[in-house]
Amino acid sequence: MADLALDGAPKERSTIEKVWGKVVGISRRSPTSIIGFVIILFFGFLALLAPLLMPYDPIAANPNLILSGPSAAHWFGTDGNGMDVFSRVIFGSRFAFGIAIPVVIIALSIGIPIGLYSGYKGGNIDEAIMRVVDAFRVFPSIILALAVVAAAGPSLLNVVLVIGILDAPIFVRVVRAEVLALRSSSFVESGLIVGNPTWRILFVHLLPNAIQGAMAQTAVRAAWAVRISATLAFLGIGIQPPTPEWGAMIRQGAEFMVNGQWWVGIFPGVALILMVLGFNMFGDGLQDLLDPKRRSGGK
Amino acid sequence: MSLLQVRDLHTHFISRNLDNEIRVAKALNGVSFEVSRGEVLGLVGETGAGKSLTAYSVMDLLKPPAKVVGGTVEFDGRNLRDLEAEDMNKLRGSEIAMVVQNPRSSLDPLTRVGEQLIRVHTAHTDTSESAARARAIEKLGAVGIPAPEQRMRAWPHELSGGMAQRVLIAMALMNEPKLIIADEPTTGLDVTVQAQILDLLRELVVTHNVAAMVITHDLGIVAHYCNRMAVMFAGRIVETGDVETVFDNPSHPYTRTLIASTPERLKEGKQKVLGGGAPPNLYNLPPGCHYVERCRFADESCNKPLSLDQVGDGHFAMCTRLDAVREGWPS
Amino acid sequence: MTEPLLRADKLTKHFVTPRTGQTVRAVNGVSFEMFAGQTVGMVGESGSGKSTVGRMVVRLLKPTQGSVTFRGRDIAPLRDRAVRALRSDLQMVFQDPWSALNPRMRVKRIIQEPLLLHSKLSDSERSDRVEEIARSVRLNTDLLTRFPGELSGGQLQRVCIARAIATSPGLIVLDEPTSSLDLSVRAGILDLLQELREETGAAMLFISHDLGTVRLVSDHILVLYLGHIVESGPMAKVFDEPAHPYTQTLLSAHLPADPRTQLHRHLLEGEIPSPIDMPPGCPFSTRCPLVRDECRTALPPMVDIGDGAQRAACIRIREGSNQVPL
Repeated sequence: MADLALDGAPKERSTIEKVWGKVVGISRRSPTSIIGFVIILFFGFLALLAPLLMPYDPIAANPNLILSGPSAAHWFGTDGNGMDVFSRVIFGSRFAFGIAIPVVIIALSIGIPIGLYSGYKGGNIDEAIMRVVDAFRVFPSIILALAVVAAAGPSLLNVVLVIGILDAPIFVRVVRAEVLALRSSSFVESGLIVGNPTWRILFVHLLPNAIQGAMAQTAVRAAWAVRISATLAFLGIGIQPPTPEWGAMIRQGAEFMVNGQWWVGIFPGVALILMVLGFNMFGDGLQDLLDPKRRSGGK
Repeated sequence: MSLLQVRDLHTHFISRNLDNEIRVAKALNGVSFEVSRGEVLGLVGETGAGKSLTAYSVMDLLKPPAKVVGGTVEFDGRNLRDLEAEDMNKLRGSEIAMVVQNPRSSLDPLTRVGEQLIRVHTAHTDTSESAARARAIEKLGAVGIPAPEQRMRAWPHELSGGMAQRVLIAMALMNEPKLIIADEPTTGLDVTVQAQILDLLRELVVTHNVAAMVITHDLGIVAHYCNRMAVMFAGRIVETGDVETVFDNPSHPYTRTLIASTPERLKEGKQKVLGGGAPPNLYNLPPGCHYVERCRFADESCNKPLSLDQVGDGHFAMCTRLDAVREGWPS
Repeated sequence: MTEPLLRADKLTKHFVTPRTGQTVRAVNGVSFEMFAGQTVGMVGESGSGKSTVGRMVVRLLKPTQGSVTFRGRDIAPLRDRAVRALRSDLQMVFQDPWSALNPRMRVKRIIQEPLLLHSKLSDSERSDRVEEIARSVRLNTDLLTRFPGELSGGQLQRVCIARAIATSPGLIVLDEPTSSLDLSVRAGILDLLQELREETGAAMLFISHDLGTVRLVSDHILVLYLGHIVESGPMAKVFDEPAHPYTQTLLSAHLPADPRTQLHRHLLEGEIPSPIDMPPGCPFSTRCPLVRDECRTALPPMVDIGDGAQRAACIRIREGSNQVPL
């Protein structure tokens, strides 16, 4: 009875003890993941409660208070339009999540089926798909993103779609690698012998067993999405000011930095760094927990 | 006087789970046996019974979270558990040699066979390189490898499974060991090759007067190549004795089930074997006999601590219900 | 004479290794017949091609050459879709029950999958049928809600067998079904297979390297060496009077689990040649103690022994000098 072997030696523990035990257990294995999780939680909290937390309307310009430094009324000061930087930084977390989450979902829903099919079929089909994936990989994604967004027009939807598609090859690779490892195990053969058509082999049999690696990547990819969307905005191709998006705010702030009005750019910058850091730390922990083999085996 | 005497060996796996609870899997729970020069002891049991773990515990080759937590390992008058790591290192590969399963994976793929043999010898002695080389050629010949001089230059990947196992045995012989521990030495080899390897091993025991311990799950190997056998179940030896005695007169219900499960016995007898079942949970073992959940003859007396009791000449079994088993076992 | 359920004719499978482009001659013209309800044991050492033959019989692999006539129809050239339709009649049980089951599927879903794919049963009928099948393989129905990782090896192999018999197939290929199981568990599975054979009337192709097990379950034996059948015949005949020198040495190398049986050993030199580098002529000629020059040039044909039930491929049989001396 393997389940007994795992859960044996029952000892009465209260719920609080169990939860605390789990937290300590995970943090022993991967302390950074807990820190990362807390950071993400913090931003999630900001995004959800933004209307309650923001002291001002983030896009209400106050022509009388342009570029005033941090004060009791405006903790992070005001920007070139006289908008409250503090409120804008808080509201920006909504954009960060609003980009990161759909980007990862798009990338997963493109990458997983292709990865499954490519790994399972093998041969020339796999070869062709992998060459495309490699091409994506060697071409700097920021340049590709710049070109496509510039051509398609700098709307939020376009940015999300383009980044999502650009990120799909990562998941193709991860899922395909997993499928290659599974293909030789005989449960795939067993699936064939009972008469499963290909789509059932892929989605009923392989998918649930091949998805861990992809799931472990999601947080790291979310960090990447936040970073690259901010970069696009900073370069002026993505979301345009005065939208309270961190990248756009940093771009605006950069102009004032030389004049000593540091607060316009620094605060959204810190928020961006913190969030990317949070996703990455959580992502590392996630990989440790979900996919320990791949990590220790090196990349 | 036995060469190797293991007394009450306990090995545990101690780890923490994700809930931060300390978990102890009691893998070996008082293993006792001995091996003398000139004899082959067969250690049998099902997967997870602790056969290989016994060998690794004796050789002090355990990696965390496994740890020997009790017992003595007396080898040639010394308690190996008191030895310093350095002295133990010297002992391994010289006085005690090990032959493992999957011979090809235990050879260094980037070093020629001869070089590996020579290294084993020079690492443990002050012999010159050329003397070691001569010795390596001699040992390769002794294990029946044709053209040993040429084989010295072979790479491990050029060897077949049977050849690789012979090389490994030659390596084990380089330092004239007193004890050879062979862990499933022929698993994965074909039957015709298996016979060659086992013949070789038995011959070495006789001609070199070494002691050998063969770990296997194949009762055919035990029946034809071992002098004595020890049956393991859930980290304990539940029965031990001369091979013929145990086969003729198995006492412990687990041993009886094992022997009744061999194709030969199934062929002759029409009785059904009802021995299958899951191995017991090593995290939560029953207080007395570990076989209690699978045993048809179990009663309250089986929950008391047990010992290996003599049931015949050199024949021991760990069971309080021997009489009931003898009477109740379908013949 | 009744029509055979299955007739394999000159089955051949050659693989090309991806890196070096060498041809692996795994199976080289294997022909045999199986009748309804018959259990045929296929023995051979690793590299003999026995698993490949099994996979071609159930069309998991497509033969390079030759035909597989199942219920009067050649299934070798069929396309995937047509092969899928055959699955309810043609099943296989694999060697390693730990990897043969989808670890993320509960046992109940695993057993009912063939019913879902091949029958039009309603949900409740299917549930009933799954429980019925579970009972027939002596699997505790409490285990149906578990995942494979929670079951022991013997229980897992029972699940695999349950899945294979769910659609009452006419032929089941069993590829080393007991060799990864512990001895006492193995006995229970063999017992179950015997019982199912009587209950279901399915023909079984039992592939194994373990002569003791094959002897226990088979009516008829095929001995494979390097992708060739070197001997075939009724179980008792082949075991008692093996004709081919390879069969003789194979049987003599077997170690019965009884210290009192005398071993009559023909020790064989060397090992099986690689199927990449096949010897010309008789595949066994490189190791055969009775080898002659002509063995190395032409492949010996199968010849009848006695009434023809037993056949072997050795040129020495006709002159009666095929016994390997002890």
